[in-house]
Amino acid sequence: MRSPLPERTRSIRRRLFALLLLPSVLVLAAGTLSDYFTAVGPFRAAFDQSLIDGALALAANVRPNADNKPVLTLPPEAVAILRADSSDTVYYRVSDSNGALIAGDANLPEAPRSNVNPSRADSSFLGEAIRVVSYRTYTNAGLLTISVAETTHKRDGVRTNILSSSLAVDIAELGIVLAVIAFGVRLALSPLREVQEQIAQRSARDLAQLPLDRVPLEIRSIVETLNRLFNTVSESASAQRRFLESAAHQLRTPLTGIQAQLELMVEDEADASKQQRLTFILDAARRLAHTTQQLLTLARSDEAANLRWDLAEVSLATVVENVVADRVVAAERSGVDLGAEIEPADVKGVGWLLSEAVGNLANNAIAHSPAGSQVTVRCGVHRGMPFIQVTDCGVGIPAEERERVFERFVRGSNARGAGSGLGLAIVREVAQLHGATVDIDIGPNGKGTSVTLRFPVLSAPPRPAYAGVASGALTA
Amino acid sequence: MRALVVEDDPLVGDAVRRALTAGGYAADHVASAEAAKSALHAEDFDLLIVDVGLPKEDGMQFVRGLRARGKIVPVLMLTARDGLNDRVTALDLGADDYLIKPFQVPELLARCRALIRRANSVASPEITFGGLQLNLARKEVSAGGQKLEVTHREWSILECLVLNAGHIVSKEKLLSSIANWDDDISPNAIEVYVSRLRTKLGQAVLIRAVRGMGYRIDEITAP
Repeated sequence: MRSPLPERTRSIRRRLFALLLLPSVLVLAAGTLSDYFTAVGPFRAAFDQSLIDGALALAANVRPNADNKPVLTLPPEAVAILRADSSDTVYYRVSDSNGALIAGDANLPEAPRSNVNPSRADSSFLGEAIRVVSYRTYTNAGLLTISVAETTHKRDGVRTNILSSSLAVDIAELGIVLAVIAFGVRLALSPLREVQEQIAQRSARDLAQLPLDRVPLEIRSIVETLNRLFNTVSESASAQRRFLESAAHQLRTPLTGIQAQLELMVEDEADASKQQRLTFILDAARRLAHTTQQLLTLARSDEAANLRWDLAEVSLATVVENVVADRVVAAERSGVDLGAEIEPADVKGVGWLLSEAVGNLANNAIAHSPAGSQVTVRCGVHRGMPFIQVTDCGVGIPAEERERVFERFVRGSNARGAGSGLGLAIVREVAQLHGATVDIDIGPNGKGTSVTLRFPVLSAPPRPAYAGVASGALTA
Repeated sequence: MRALVVEDDPLVGDAVRRALTAGGYAADHVASAEAAKSALHAEDFDLLIVDVGLPKEDGMQFVRGLRARGKIVPVLMLTARDGLNDRVTALDLGADDYLIKPFQVPELLARCRALIRRANSVASPEITFGGLQLNLARKEVSAGGQKLEVTHREWSILECLVLNAGHIVSKEKLLSSIANWDDDISPNAIEVYVSRLRTKLGQAVLIRAVRGMGYRIDEITAP
C-alpha cells in the first residue's frame, strides 16, 4: 500500500473483494475449528467413559488369593466380553503397586498420574495409536493400577465424520458469503461504472461538461477536475479560433488592397519598364496572398481537427462543382480541358476545407498538365466509400517522392511554377480531419497523376455495419 | 451607374473605387456604415459594395438595416473570413453576392456587372450582355444593332445562360428550359443547339463547355 501497487490490486473491485474475503475466510475457519472441538469433546468423553467403566469392572474383580497376592478373578468369558469390539482392539493390564503384572497385556503403557483418577492419555501399543485409561485404587489386595486401552479406529472415524460434515457446511457457507460479497461489491461500485460508461461514450473531442448529479461522492472531485479541464480546453480553443479569424482578417485585407492597387497601376502605367516592375511586385503580392491563404487553411484545418465544431454533411458533388467552376478560366488560359465526373456522394466534414484541398489538387493538376490534355475531377461512392479523385496527364510524381510531397514546404522534383509547397500538406491535413486516405497513383493511361481521397463509410450514428450495407446498396 | 463602396480599409476602399471608376461607374468611397447611410440619404446608388468587417456597425447589420428600410439596391459583400457561415449569413441577410478577399479586379467587375444586369432585368426587359442586346419580352437578340435570327429553342438556351451568366448551367437545366411536356429531346441535342448559337452569336459572347458539368456564358473582356 505504501509502495506503488502491483498491477492486480489496482482494481478497486478486486481490492474490495480481497479485503472482504480474507477476514470472511478467517472467521469461517475459526468457526469450523470451534464446531469441531465442540462436537469432538463429548464423543471423546463418551468413549473414555466406556474405558473407565471397563477399568472399574476389572478393579472390582481383583481379589487377594490364598497367598494374599492379588489376582484377577474374572472368568475368561467376562474378559472376552470386555474385549469384544467390532472395529477396535481392547487391551488391559492390571499391575500392583510395584508395577508388577497381575493380569492382562504385559507391556501396555499406563496413563501417567494426574489430578483426576482415572487418568487418561493417548499413547501407542503394538504399533497402533491407542487411548488408555489408568485407574489407581486401594483394594483389599493392596494398591492396584488398572489400565484399559483401545485402538482409536472408532474415535478416528467419528472425528473424521464430524470434521468432514462441518467442513462441508462451512465450505457451502463460504460459497454463499463469496457470492454475497461479489454481488455487494458489484452493486456498491455500480455508480463508478456508470460514470465510466458516460465518459467512454463521449467522443474524444467532446468538451461538454459531465453531469455531476449522479456521480458518487468519492470521485466527485475527479469529475469536477475533468470538467474544469474541459472548460479550460474549450476556452483556449475558442481563443485560438478567434485569433485565427482575426489573423485571417488582418492579413487578407491589406493583401487585397495591395493586390488590387497594383493591378490597377499595371493597367494605367504607360512606361513599359515601370509596368514590368509593377507586374513583378503584383506577382509577388499574389504569391504572398496565396501562401497566406494556404497557411490559414492549414491552421484552420488543425483547429477543426482538434475540435470538430464545424462538421456537417457535405455534398462532394457541390465541392467538385465549385472547384471546377472556379478554375474553368485558369484551365482555359493553360489550354487544359478541365472537366468533372460527378456522382452523388456525401461525407461528414467541413465544406470549405474540402474545397481548399480539392482546389489545391486541381491547381496542381492544371499547372502540371501539357496544353491540350485533360484534367478531370471526379466524385462518387466506390464500395461504400465516398471518394474524390483528380487525374491529369502531366509529368507525374516519381513513386519514391509520393510520400514526401505531402510534407509542408516540400515540392516534387518535377514541380513547375512558383508553388508554396503547402498544397499537398493541406490535402493531407484536410484528409486526416475527415478520416480519409490520400493515394497518389499514376494516371489512367499510365501517364500523369491520379490523386484519390477515400472517405470512411458515412455512418449512420448507431452501427457502422448498417451504414456499410446502406451505402453499398447505393453503389449497386 | 453610381456605385457606393463601404470599406474601412483605405487601401482596399480606394482600390475598389478606382477599379469601379475604370469600369465605367461613378463610384464613391465611405469608411463606415454611418457615412454610407448619409450618402444613401442624399443620393441614389445603383450598386453597393460593403465590407463585412466595418467598425462599430458591421456590414451584416448595415445590410440588414438597409433591407429592413425597403432598399432594393443590389449589394455585393466583401469578406476577409473564410468560414462558410459568413457567406450564408450574408446572403440570408439580403446581400446579393459575396466576394472573398483577396479578389482580383476583373472578378470584382464581373460580379458588379452581373448584379446590375440582374437588377435591371427586373425593371426592364432589355438586357445588355457583352456585345449582345436581349429583349426578354419579345424574345429577341441583336448584336451591334443587327437583329439575329434564332429559333425558339436557341433563344431559350441563350436566355437561360445569360440569366445565369458566369455560372455553369447543367445540360439538364438547359433541357428543361426548352422541353415542353410532349417533347422528347436527348441531352445530346443541347450540344447541337449550343453549337448553332455559337455560330450565330459570333464574337459577341463566349459560351464555354465544361466537360461533365454543362455550359457557361461570359462576356468577352479584354485580356
